Amino acid sequence: MPVNLVDLGIVYGIAEHDGLVEVDLTFTAMGCPASEFILEDIRERLMREEGVCDVHINIVWDPPWSAARMTQAGRDALEAWGLAV
Amino acid sequence: MPSASEFANTIKSGELIESPNEMTPEYLRELKHTLVVSGDTELISAPAYYLAAKKAPSINAFMTGIAIIQDELAHAHIAYHILEELGEDQEKLIFSRDPKSFRYPYAFDVPLDSWTELVVANGMYDQAGFCLLGDIHDKCSYGPWKRGLNKVMAEENFHLRNGRTWMKRISQAGGSAKEELQTAVDWMFPLSVEWFGLPDNLKMHSTQLEYRLKGLTNDQLRQWWLSQVVPYCEQINIKVPAHKETKDGTDVYVLDYPFPCEFDAENKRWDFKKPISWDDVLVRWRERGPRNAEMVAMFQEEFHQYRKSHKNGN
Repeated sequence: MPVNLVDLGIVYGIAEHDGLVEVDLTFTAMGCPASEFILEDIRERLMREEGVCDVHINIVWDPPWSAARMTQAGRDALEAWGLAV
Repeated sequence: MPSASEFANTIKSGELIESPNEMTPEYLRELKHTLVVSGDTELISAPAYYLAAKKAPSINAFMTGIAIIQDELAHAHIAYHILEELGEDQEKLIFSRDPKSFRYPYAFDVPLDSWTELVVANGMYDQAGFCLLGDIHDKCSYGPWKRGLNKVMAEENFHLRNGRTWMKRISQAGGSAKEELQTAVDWMFPLSVEWFGLPDNLKMHSTQLEYRLKGLTNDQLRQWWLSQVVPYCEQINIKVPAHKETKDGTDVYVLDYPFPCEFDAENKRWDFKKPISWDDVLVRWRERGPRNAEMVAMFQEEFHQYRKSHKNGN
């Protein structure tokens, strides 16, 4: 997908304490076929930040994701890719 | 309909062809042939992948496998839909052809029997599809197909990602998992190399190139594929029978075995000590491989069964 996870609106929260990063994350669909890749990408990216020693990702479904959660930049990227949002 | 010389000028100018009344009969024939190969390849990958995706190691992995299959069916649909607009009967093409007349790469006829073989197919066969379709997307003179491929290319990236992520994961696991991966690569790598067809020195003339239905020759496409697959396999510590050399200041990938050579499809084994001719390869391709009839039957049988049982509107 040509859009980052923040602009897609699936990151609901992020906090750091003593090097442990906690991420609240949802998916656009419960059957998201890319969910494993997304989890791996988040872990891999955050572990590259200085001072981060661990990453916990909480998958949440409430509130459910909808296209309304996307940023304008995310909409523009998806529309340029051919998706109606 | 344009004259042959008017049409040649249109092609040379780089303009896109948008409808059958802008084509010569020869171009229409070559375009249809190229679309049938593309549609058949995408379509047959669905049963080939499905029979292996059933062996996914987790529900999540199975979902990814099924999503890839859904993409492949959609990509097949794009090609067949364009063929229908060009006067072909989509239903006949898919459901009434003899299995041996399907025009997809031989590699899919060799059964994918495990999740490991499926992810190697995603890493290697989908990479071959990516190179072939990427070239068509870039250079194709037929506008409706060129535009349709925009999204196909984006989705093929997802398939590659699945292949590469899992190949890396299995290699890192080591032990028998890595051995299984190496065994899969050993038979699937040369089949993928063969995918691109006759080498340029044996293929004197390409109508597809002349009509800008593609832009790269078979050997150029093969080199593109090798330049993606060989370094990745080396990076994840998987051996492949090819290496990079620099010739006249240019990097080229060279195969470490006679090409083409003997393949035992039943046992999935290459004999690098037995070089064969391209005529021999063409005979093998025309005869099709072990799973051809079974895979075509997977979608044809149910279609005809359904038609039979619903013919009175029941």
